[in-house]
Amino acid sequence: MRVLMQSVDMICCTNRDGVITPIKFRISDEKEENRIVKIDRILNRKEEKLAGNRMLVFTVQSVIRGRECRFEMKYEFSTCKWFLYKI
Amino acid sequence: MERKILHVDANSAYLSWEAVYRLQHGAETDLRTIPSVVGGDEKSRRGIVLAKSIPAKKYNIKTGEALWSARGKCPNLVVLPPSYPLYMSCSDAMVRLLKRYSPNVERYSVDECFVDLTGYSQKKTAEEIAWEIKERCRTELGFTVNVGLSTNKLLAKMASELEKPDKMHTLYRHEIPEKFWPLPVRELFLSGPRTLPKLYKLNIFTIGQLAHASPDLLQHHLKSHGLTIWKYANGLDDSPVVPGDRVIKGIGNSTTSPFNVDNEKEALLYLLSLTETAAMRLRSKGMLARVVTVSLRDTQLSFYSHQCRLISPTDSTLLLYRQAKGLFKEMWRKEPLRHLGVHFSNLVENKFFQTSFFDDTVVFRQQAIDKTIDEIRGSYGNDAVVRGLFPHSGIPPLCGGVYEAFPTMRSLL
Repeated sequence: MRVLMQSVDMICCTNRDGVITPIKFRISDEKEENRIVKIDRILNRKEEKLAGNRMLVFTVQSVIRGRECRFEMKYEFSTCKWFLYKI
Repeated sequence: MERKILHVDANSAYLSWEAVYRLQHGAETDLRTIPSVVGGDEKSRRGIVLAKSIPAKKYNIKTGEALWSARGKCPNLVVLPPSYPLYMSCSDAMVRLLKRYSPNVERYSVDECFVDLTGYSQKKTAEEIAWEIKERCRTELGFTVNVGLSTNKLLAKMASELEKPDKMHTLYRHEIPEKFWPLPVRELFLSGPRTLPKLYKLNIFTIGQLAHASPDLLQHHLKSHGLTIWKYANGLDDSPVVPGDRVIKGIGNSTTSPFNVDNEKEALLYLLSLTETAAMRLRSKGMLARVVTVSLRDTQLSFYSHQCRLISPTDSTLLLYRQAKGLFKEMWRKEPLRHLGVHFSNLVENKFFQTSFFDDTVVFRQQAIDKTIDEIRGSYGNDAVVRGLFPHSGIPPLCGGVYEAFPTMRSLL
């Protein structure tokens, strides 16, 4: 997997226990074209607090261009931003 | 019961915190593995090395060195600007982790903490806890720490400095002759550039030699400081671990000007601007100052200062500035300046204080003005109200005061 760390627009769901689940996101590629990716499965979720900065790291699976891909997404608590971390 | 004290010290703190934060945000290279430094802004002449990586150390780059000289030693040196809010959040994260082991955590400086483990854990030994803290800092927080374990604060601090990085050391009393005494005396806490030449003259080069020297001889040559370092060399220290953040002894503020200050008008504006920020901090802590110090550094980097005691303690910007102005006029040798500082010490709480017969009648009016200005600045930002002297002067109305809630170094255990 390659580190990308690109910020994305995200639609996610927070349930009544405070558990955050990413649902689908929009990312603009090199040609400034928007692509929407729906997250099919969440394989793993963990919290990291490197340098005291809390982030949620999700390992997820989706179908992109007809191929099943596995990638990692990050949510930063301090800025409320979502990132496509590794793909 | 014998005490168990831990000293936890983040390895090249600013740099490794910066490195971890960047890695977390997708940086490809780990700054700790390449020659890199965190340095001040060169344009405003604050260009010194604040922290360095271990590969940078191999180029003989020293903390406090000018950036141009560091670049001369290593041409492909990576220089990063400091980000103090990040360092505070890293420091807070470290304290939070330590508080899981004992409530007695003293934040000694931004990257160092003392933890009193005496009698807190029955399941694990102090050595196991020390090891666990070191491992957890690396895996959870992403940066490495050195942990020193001993029976008092001094020995714990010396232990954590034995070998770096990412190590845990013990320095118990019976280990002193073997681990502590062979070290050069410059490694001892509080033996700085003033003390060392005097010790060398007395033929004292190692901590062991200092420990075996006669305390009377040391007191004769170094006054009370001689006795203090003799005690330290023998591993004697009974200072307690004070939980929380250390009581403030003084509040100061200083700045390096982007241009040489060569006339009184500009210098006084700088002093006013520094006083403004420092006095705001003083008031927000609910303290009054009794001693005002002004320090100057000229273009040759020679440093001098002057201080005076006030008749009655105050927190008023105007009264403090008047004192600072007087001090400045007494001491300034009319040479161009590059660094000015104001420091308030001998602090007392502002609940009760002795007023003086000679007090200015404006004191209470000033207090009301200061309070109002602080409130306006608190609600609408620091630039909501500024003094009319500052616009178009090229000098910021509120100077200095980088995010410095905790000092980076201390001289008291």
